Amino acid sequence: MTAALGPVGVGFRSRRRIPATIVACLVVLAVALLAVLLGPLLFPDATKQDILSSLMPAGSPGHPLGTDELGRDILALTVAGAASALVGPVCVAVGSMLLGILLGTLAGYERGPLDFAISRWTDLLLALPVLLAAIVVSGVFGGGYWTTVALLILLFSPSDIRIVRAGVLEQAARPYIEAAQMLSLSRWRVMFRHILPNVSSLVITNAMLNVAFALVAFSSLSFLGVGVPPGTADWGRQLTDNRAIMFDNPAAVIVPAVLIIAVACCVNLVGDWLGQRLTRSGGVA
Amino acid sequence: MLAVRVLGTAAILFVLSIIVFSMLHLAPGDLVKTLLGTRPASPEAVAAIREQYHLDDPLPVQYLRWLGGVLSGDFGESIRLQTSVSDAIAARLGLTLALCGLAFAIALAVGIPLGVQSAVRAGGVLDRAGTTLGVIGLSAPTFAVGLLLLYVFAYYLPIFPVYGGGRGPLDTLYHLVLPAVTLAAGLGAIVLKLTRTAMLRELDADYVTSARARGIPESRTRRLALRNAAIPIVTGASLLLTFLVGGTVLAETTYALPGLGTLLQDSVLFKDLAVVQALTLLVALVIAMIALLADLAYLMLDPRVRDQGGAA
Amino acid sequence: MTGIEVAIDGIDGPAGPMVAAVAFGIEPGASLALIGESGSGKTLTAKSLVGLLPGGFGARGVLRVDGRAHPLDATDAAWRRVRGREVSLLLQDPFTSLSPVHRCGPQIAWTLEAKAGRRLPKRELDLAVAKRLAEVNLPARVARAYPHELSGGMRQRVAIAAALASDPRLLIADEPTTALDASNQAEILDLLRQLQLERGMAMLLISHDLGLVRGRTDDVLVMRHGEVVERGATATVLSSPEHAYTRALIAADPVLALDAERPDDALGNDADLGVAGRAPLISATGVVKRFGLRTVLDGVDLSIAPGQVVGVVGESGSGKSTLARCIAGLEREDGGSIVFDGRPLAPGRRSRTPEQMQIVFQDPYSSLNPMMTIGAILREALGVGGRRPDEVPAMLELVGLPADAAAKRPAQLSGGQRQRVAIARALAPRPRLLICDESVSALDVQVQAQILDLLGRLRDELDIAILFISHDLAVVRRIADTVTVVWQGHVVEHGSCAQVLDQPSEDYTKLLVAAARRDTTGRTTVA
Repeated sequence: MTAALGPVGVGFRSRRRIPATIVACLVVLAVALLAVLLGPLLFPDATKQDILSSLMPAGSPGHPLGTDELGRDILALTVAGAASALVGPVCVAVGSMLLGILLGTLAGYERGPLDFAISRWTDLLLALPVLLAAIVVSGVFGGGYWTTVALLILLFSPSDIRIVRAGVLEQAARPYIEAAQMLSLSRWRVMFRHILPNVSSLVITNAMLNVAFALVAFSSLSFLGVGVPPGTADWGRQLTDNRAIMFDNPAAVIVPAVLIIAVACCVNLVGDWLGQRLTRSGGVA
Repeated sequence: MLAVRVLGTAAILFVLSIIVFSMLHLAPGDLVKTLLGTRPASPEAVAAIREQYHLDDPLPVQYLRWLGGVLSGDFGESIRLQTSVSDAIAARLGLTLALCGLAFAIALAVGIPLGVQSAVRAGGVLDRAGTTLGVIGLSAPTFAVGLLLLYVFAYYLPIFPVYGGGRGPLDTLYHLVLPAVTLAAGLGAIVLKLTRTAMLRELDADYVTSARARGIPESRTRRLALRNAAIPIVTGASLLLTFLVGGTVLAETTYALPGLGTLLQDSVLFKDLAVVQALTLLVALVIAMIALLADLAYLMLDPRVRDQGGAA
Repeated sequence: MTGIEVAIDGIDGPAGPMVAAVAFGIEPGASLALIGESGSGKTLTAKSLVGLLPGGFGARGVLRVDGRAHPLDATDAAWRRVRGREVSLLLQDPFTSLSPVHRCGPQIAWTLEAKAGRRLPKRELDLAVAKRLAEVNLPARVARAYPHELSGGMRQRVAIAAALASDPRLLIADEPTTALDASNQAEILDLLRQLQLERGMAMLLISHDLGLVRGRTDDVLVMRHGEVVERGATATVLSSPEHAYTRALIAADPVLALDAERPDDALGNDADLGVAGRAPLISATGVVKRFGLRTVLDGVDLSIAPGQVVGVVGESGSGKSTLARCIAGLEREDGGSIVFDGRPLAPGRRSRTPEQMQIVFQDPYSSLNPMMTIGAILREALGVGGRRPDEVPAMLELVGLPADAAAKRPAQLSGGQRQRVAIARALAPRPRLLICDESVSALDVQVQAQILDLLGRLRDELDIAILFISHDLAVVRRIADTVTVVWQGHVVEHGSCAQVLDQPSEDYTKLLVAAARRDTTGRTTVA
């Protein structure tokens, strides 16, 4: 009886209107996207050093946010740094999502030795915290930006694999999958036409949240001096470079720090909201 | 059930130890040069290094020798600090433990009550404030929070020291307040989210409706729900630990604290591999142990699982 | 004045009005049954009387207990003084209504302390808990058990003891036996009736099952779409219902129908056993299936002729569903042989084709892919059978669904409609055997009757063989030609439907038939 009431209540609670907070977040993300796309065009030489104009405070003529020790304009560096700070994390989230979908679906549906191998692999990767493993590996073995992206995809994938696997396991036990088996459909058709759409809300939500986590991980790595090579325009790099001049030009530290926090918050909020929307409309209670 | 878990953990640690050992040989650059560090590469020194590290033995023998050393607490020499690795770690362990402990205490003291209240009055002012704080805590990288706090407390409200570890226990604690708060921001956000989610689900459960329907006071009902919610909260402990490890490195680096985090950071940049190996293994061991403890706590908290565990 | 007076002006949900104005009274020591199908508003009515409506719902009206008025829209703080002392609510599912991590004793003790308004000394509390447990026929040691250590019936007894520990003037029992086995249902209902009479307490019993309340309540109220359609003394309403809806409800109730004549009893004779007349379409011989150390099927034989409906009955855990799944190839049997149309089938799906057999599952909510439209589901099944996608409207018509259903998703359909879609999907590849695994068990009684009629019609029109698995003898009696009774992985009895269900020869079958006629025990005690 209460179960029968559920859908009615839920149906009317989910408003079609997008909440104001989410609209604000989407605006912030749109601006960040613009910076990623237009940054290199607007400030093609953001990383050019000019010792003559070093350490100018915010509000100086020509440098609204001042300059850093090497005379680079903070505004230009920050706008140009959006690409480095954001493209990597999005690639990490998408890459680990794809890896998760492939391995998670195989493990959850095929079971047996394949499941065992994939599950032990994720156990192993989960035994070390992502950040520690990333620091050690990229610190000891070096490697540039895209090596770090690849490394983070590998380190992020266990959570995706587990989520997809759990979702597939849950779906595979449902009678509609057995009904598909009664029709003697091919295993790929069952996996990707029947099961995958039903776990897609989980997967997409997790990928959104992973963007935020990857953003944090990425900027943390560049703050620690690994991942992003010195001299690159990047928010995390800016923080570690400008720590020493925090009291000469606070904007050099505060602006990128606030930007990282703001973008991560917006991605998180949009991800949470999307997750709630998708689970409600998905019809899988 | 527990025996299987213990065996699984041991297997993972074994595989990790092989990977960690291989790090030395897989690292780019000439191994002997890496081990020599800053010393001049005279033929005698090279021979001494080859002798000291038994580099002419087959790899499995080297691994077993290394593992034997590790198991007896001998992680080798730090080329950067010119001391034994165990001494270097021991000298810094206390500070890191104090930092983590303090951050953990703050996170639990704030996160659990706030999570319970948020769930009880879901949608209310406190809940919305708590959720906002939680999202910020989850999203903000530890170093960004650290730098902002540093700026505020060094510039506007100079009541806390901003750098260094301090001298003597009380001074150290005083120096650890800001770093601990920084670390607790992320930890507390996770605790808050776990608690709120678990409490919301439990408060919606039939047994809570049933308790309310027979007139059991709200305070008792809430304790009843929290006791049930404890199971998912404790299970989430590994999440906290994962965050704590990365967060400690960042917080110590931000506040220039001489703890294990900065030791790792410096050793990685200096390619002081013996220290990196030791710290990586240590973290893996601690995480594995805590995960096992969480399983044990789960057994104690849930009578249903306890019975199944007993039967199997 | 004494007794319960309820005057509900209306209950509104987020979607608008859910329950219209309804008023009723219950004398002290009397009981009233509130009957309705899911969605009739009966559970909302119950929850409004304890102030525990879900978020977004609100009730207007007043509850009077011995003259004390409690407005239904009171604050939660005000309701807390009413709940327990005046009204207590017993929930449907004893598996979720007790806290799983607390022992049973304390859960009863909390109600006692809530009523006393203070902490009670342990010794006193232990004695009181033991007394309450004795009242519901449970030994005192149950107090130290966790809920998961008890059977469903025992748990519901604990829940009853907990609900009654505050000595309420009104007990509302919301489908208290729906989650229990048939054998426990009668016991729990009789216990509730007995406690209610002994205590002079009023009881509101909410149920979807008219047959269940016969002889167990004084009055009955029938609700439909949030409105009361009929009320009166239980015996009167059951024997001479006035409203057409009540009549339909009684006619569709399988328990009440167990006594009725089969519509076409000519089929019930031995000549129709089929095996003699036509070669069997499928025959399973000595099927064995083990799950780990547990043997679920221990040498079961079964054969079905074309156009024949074979019922397999047994309790949950008897192995009847496993047998169906082995025949369908969804489980791999460990021994025995399954021969289809003269050709032996190896265990597993690989050796079978969709044109041989299809299955209709129990739960219509999870047997359709929620992300696919009905049209897409049927097109896929038609394609498997080599049929054209434009046959979708014809398939929908065959199972009595409107053509516009093709564009809908499962969530937009009712349970009965979904089960029709599941049947259409199963029929699309033109299978020669249709396996119905508890296919009507999750449906309302009225919908159950419609689906059974549909299956009967399809059998006649398509000459399809049906293997019908059910725990419900009345349902099997309506549709099956022959019945096989399964118990602990063995066939206990086999024969024509009329013979096995009306003159069972084995003890176990007699027990099953007696349990199915659970209403008779109530009738004799009260009459």
